[in-house]
Amino acid sequence: MIPINAVFGLGLLIFFIGLFGVLFRKNLVIMLMSLELLLNGVNVLLAGLSYHMRSPRGSIFAIFIILMAVSEAAVGFGLVLSFFRQKKTYDMDEFNELKG
Amino acid sequence: MIARLVFYFFALLAVLSSVFVVTRKNAMHSVMYLAFTVLSVAGIFFSLQAEYLGAIQILVYGGGIVVLYIFVIIIVNLNEIKPERRKLFPKMFIFALPALLFLQIINVLFMNRPTPPAGPESGLTFTAFAEMLFSSYLVPFEIASILLLAVLIGAVIVARKKLTHDSD
Repeated sequence: MIPINAVFGLGLLIFFIGLFGVLFRKNLVIMLMSLELLLNGVNVLLAGLSYHMRSPRGSIFAIFIILMAVSEAAVGFGLVLSFFRQKKTYDMDEFNELKG
Repeated sequence: MIARLVFYFFALLAVLSSVFVVTRKNAMHSVMYLAFTVLSVAGIFFSLQAEYLGAIQILVYGGGIVVLYIFVIIIVNLNEIKPERRKLFPKMFIFALPALLFLQIINVLFMNRPTPPAGPESGLTFTAFAEMLFSSYLVPFEIASILLLAVLIGAVIVARKKLTHDSD
C-alpha cells in the first residue's frame, strides 16, 4: 500500500513546479507546458485518492481532466499561432493590448 | 513493497524532469523533458492501479499533446526572445504565491491524516470503471464529445490565416 501522504506530496509538488513555471517564465509556449504540469499534478491526486478509496470515481474525473487538457492545448496553440502572426514574438510582455 | 519502490522511482523521475521543464532556456529541450514527465506520471498511474488512466496518458499526452508542442515550436521561430527580467513589485507577488503553496505541501506531507474509508477490492477493476463511466457519468461523457467537436472547429477558426479581403 502506497502511503497517502506520499501521493499528496507528489501531486502538490508537481502542481507547485507548474505554478512556478506559469508565474516566472515569460515564454508563452513554456507557460502552456507549465499548465500541463498543473493538470498532471491534479491527476496524480485524483488517481491516488481513487486507489485509496477503492473507487473508480477519481480515475473517471482524471479522464475528464485529460480531455479538458487536450482541448486547452488545441485552442491555446491556435491562439499562440495567431498571436505570433501579429506580433512576431513569443514574449508575454507584448501581450498587453486587446485590439486585434 | 515493490509497488512502493516503483512509485517512488517514478515520482523522483517526474519531479526532476518537471523541474527541468520550467528551468530550461531552450523550448525544444523543455518539450523533451515534458514528454519524460508525462511518461513518468503514466508510470505513477500504473503503480496506483489506474491502468486505463496510464494508457490514456501515454496515448493522449505522449502521442498527441507533446507532438503538437513540437510542431508549434518548429512553426514559430524561437530566436528572438529577450532576456527575462521583471520589476520588483510583481516579482514579490509571484514569489509569495508559490511560497505559500510550498508551506502547505510541507504541512500536508507531515500531517497525520485518518485513512479514507476503503471500498471493496473490486472497485479498481476495468469493469467497475466502465460500468460507472457509462451509467453515473454518461451525461458528462456525451457533453465531453460536444466539447471536443467545439474545440475542433474553434481551433481551426482561431488559427487560420486571414485573407486580406476577408471582411471580419
